Amino acid sequence: MDLLAALLPHLVNGVSLGLLFALIALGFMLIVGVMEQINLAHGSLFALGAYAAFVVMAGQLPLPADLLAQWKQVPAGWRYVAALVAAPIVAGGAGMLLELCLRRTYGKDVLYGLLFTFGAALVIEELIRILFGTRDYVLPLPRGIGGGFVFLDLIYSTYRVYAGLFALGAIALLWLFLERTPYGAIIKAGAHDSEMVRALGINLTRLRLWVFAFGTALAGIAGVILAPIWGIRPHMGVDAVVPAFLVIVLGGIGSFWGAVAAGLMVGMVVGLSGAYASEWSLLSMYLLLIAVVTFRARGLLGKRSVLEV
Amino acid sequence: MALFEAHRLHKRFGRRVVLEDISLAFADGRISGIMGPNGAGKTTCFNVLTGRYAPDRGRVVLDGRDIAGKKPHEIARLGVSRSFQMMNLFDEYTARENVAMALPAMRGRGFQMARAAAGIGEIRDAADAALERVGLAGRGDAIAKALSYGERRALEIGVALAAAPRILFLDEPTSGLGTEATARLAELIRRLKGSLAMVLIEHDMRFLFELADEVSVIHWGQVIARGTPDELRRNPWVQRSNLGKLA
Amino acid sequence: MTGRTAPPADRDQARLFPPAMLAALVFFASVPLWIRGVGLYEYIGVEIMIWATYALAYNLTLGQTGLPSFGHGAYFGVGAYAFGLAQHGIAENLWLCLLVAVAAAALAGAAVAAFISHRRGIYFAFMTIAFGQVFWFVAVKWHSVTGGEDGLLKIRRLPVDLGVAAFDVSGNEAFYWLVFAAFALVATGLWRLVNSPFGRVLRAIKQNEARASFVGYDVWLYKFTAFTLSAGLSGFAGALFAQAQQSAFPDVMSLHWSGIVVMMVLVGGGLVSFWGPVVGVAVYFVSRDVIGAATTTWMLWFGLMFMALVLFQPEGIAGAWRHWLARARARLAAAGR
Repeated sequence: MDLLAALLPHLVNGVSLGLLFALIALGFMLIVGVMEQINLAHGSLFALGAYAAFVVMAGQLPLPADLLAQWKQVPAGWRYVAALVAAPIVAGGAGMLLELCLRRTYGKDVLYGLLFTFGAALVIEELIRILFGTRDYVLPLPRGIGGGFVFLDLIYSTYRVYAGLFALGAIALLWLFLERTPYGAIIKAGAHDSEMVRALGINLTRLRLWVFAFGTALAGIAGVILAPIWGIRPHMGVDAVVPAFLVIVLGGIGSFWGAVAAGLMVGMVVGLSGAYASEWSLLSMYLLLIAVVTFRARGLLGKRSVLEV
Repeated sequence: MALFEAHRLHKRFGRRVVLEDISLAFADGRISGIMGPNGAGKTTCFNVLTGRYAPDRGRVVLDGRDIAGKKPHEIARLGVSRSFQMMNLFDEYTARENVAMALPAMRGRGFQMARAAAGIGEIRDAADAALERVGLAGRGDAIAKALSYGERRALEIGVALAAAPRILFLDEPTSGLGTEATARLAELIRRLKGSLAMVLIEHDMRFLFELADEVSVIHWGQVIARGTPDELRRNPWVQRSNLGKLA
Repeated sequence: MTGRTAPPADRDQARLFPPAMLAALVFFASVPLWIRGVGLYEYIGVEIMIWATYALAYNLTLGQTGLPSFGHGAYFGVGAYAFGLAQHGIAENLWLCLLVAVAAAALAGAAVAAFISHRRGIYFAFMTIAFGQVFWFVAVKWHSVTGGEDGLLKIRRLPVDLGVAAFDVSGNEAFYWLVFAAFALVATGLWRLVNSPFGRVLRAIKQNEARASFVGYDVWLYKFTAFTLSAGLSGFAGALFAQAQQSAFPDVMSLHWSGIVVMMVLVGGGLVSFWGPVVGVAVYFVSRDVIGAATTTWMLWFGLMFMALVLFQPEGIAGAWRHWLARARARLAAAGR
């Protein structure tokens, strides 16, 4: 009982971290699953979303002074909502630009897509450095989701709970979208059989563009949610893309629930190992990946994929 | 005992049973044929016999030695060679380099790191001889992907033969070939006959029945008929399936 | 038959010093004579020689065997740390420390290769990223050994003791000669290796792994060996880098820097040419200094250039050069007729 009590905060932390990892990975998963492209710029678009949110929240918009002053009068809650809308638009728009170039590599080795997006990641990170410098920013939060609360004699961060619930909601919405709407059916068909999509008379080129935009928009949203936890800095993209890729490979490429399960698993492992060796806790996620993928080549729930060459 | 035998092979992929209780025997120096409709399990059968997949059950015996479950490279080194239905060459290499890769002399030197491969005359000569055997003399310096379709088919067989196999598996060697190239291939196979065992998967019944000493018919993952070409011509299944008429 | 005359490519492969090799060695040997004259300095030559050695070693996996490793910084870094630790903990002897560095990096490479040599393509890449991150993470966190983010400091450039005479290489010009000699050694060795029967098998595996195994090659063992050799030589370059910087830091082991060496190799044309990686490294460092002198945002331009290259000229500078040569030859032939 004592042990459980001692571990409880780490478990809670692990679950919320796991949901956040899954949130970061969702868009990455969509793009890998449907288009079999590894978008290494995913993290940079995540960062772009975080910076966009900061610009909107802090009111650093390129607007005439009087309009800007009015914007700053708007309640923080509404500005936050605006940030949540702006971030995916910015990230998704950048994603669309990337896809327009990336389509030249379709049909070639997937490594070319991976390399192209690696280059894009460098460029976006450098652009962020040019525009915002290397300093850290803090995303101002509306009062309701900041601060902390006490539960069973322990203090928890309200924002962590909010972020975990947000991630849960996003996962559920994405699942509903994929399973319960005609768009979802088309996307899933594209994931398994692009011939069939073409046979159905769907414009595959446009489908890919929108899937890419949608996946990168999800990265932007994740950026807003993670920004208060990780801080906003140019390097945050790399901190995000590595776990995202890890979660996808661990969960099995193309598997929705695999990604969610893997996200939770990674979160728990990092959270619990953090209880014993906080310095080393991130190492555990790499070791977990290596252990699982050594024995199950396609991850937890992966199916056979074109990526296996 | 035959040179190469398969005893009661089973293979399934997921729930789909692809090979069910297949037994085959190929004698040294003879030509055996395998026929059957598409999707009957012929290529899977080759893949199990040459080590690409391990059988779920059953034995594969080469010269009294069980080789089931061994890796492809181990089976190849024991003298089992094969060609592929989809062409399978080292596309960026020249024709000579392609056959050179399969030579036992090259295999033995695979871990030599300090000597130039291009400077080893023994390998060069053996490779040229292997090219000549399949009618590609003088084409040694051509890049494999620049060869014509027929030449690539011939090179494919040249590679399989360069390994100096004891048994050679050919998966649909005539597919895509014109009449003239098919005739040349038939002549090559006839010339090789006696020096090694050959097994052919073939859709061209005329070609197969002309060459093979014995033919097995595979359907639904099972051997449903077996016999000399003459016996099979009288077989009701072969007649009913319209395959017999062609022969 | 046209007799025994081999085509030019075969003749080059059979030679230990083909014309391109001689030209490269003469060019790099002459660097100290003119480098200041063109407004650069010796240290950039040192960097180019070390990273060219590293890139050539790396290309043994990517370009020669077709194995996309995205975590090679790990072995470069292990070599750098091992060199520094050996120098501090065992003896201040250049040969011994280099040996320790190569052995440590090769060992790390072999351990990773044992896990991943049955894979290829993108899954191979994934696994190398994961392992690379492990090494990087350990280097960052294992403060008592590596110094963490502060780095392992006070690594000396050890004198080159040839028995009859010892040379001090602490100055940049003298040190350049050491790294040039190391580059020349690795370049000639790898040239021999990639054109040996072993190298032939590696390129066969790159083109068609299944076919290679069906003609009797133990593909796993070849990939394992190639990866281990590549890791060991990367560690050798890392040891030189530790001396050049007189310290070792974890950042060369990060995903970022592992990716950059891939970029350099591809920009130069490592997929199609033995010399591609060297060209790519030279372009990277010279453009860093030239563009970097004009603008602080040079990584932006280099990144954009790389993106354009992947889209329009994936065979890199060496590939473009080859196309141009072929076209020029065709034009000459047409004019001559």
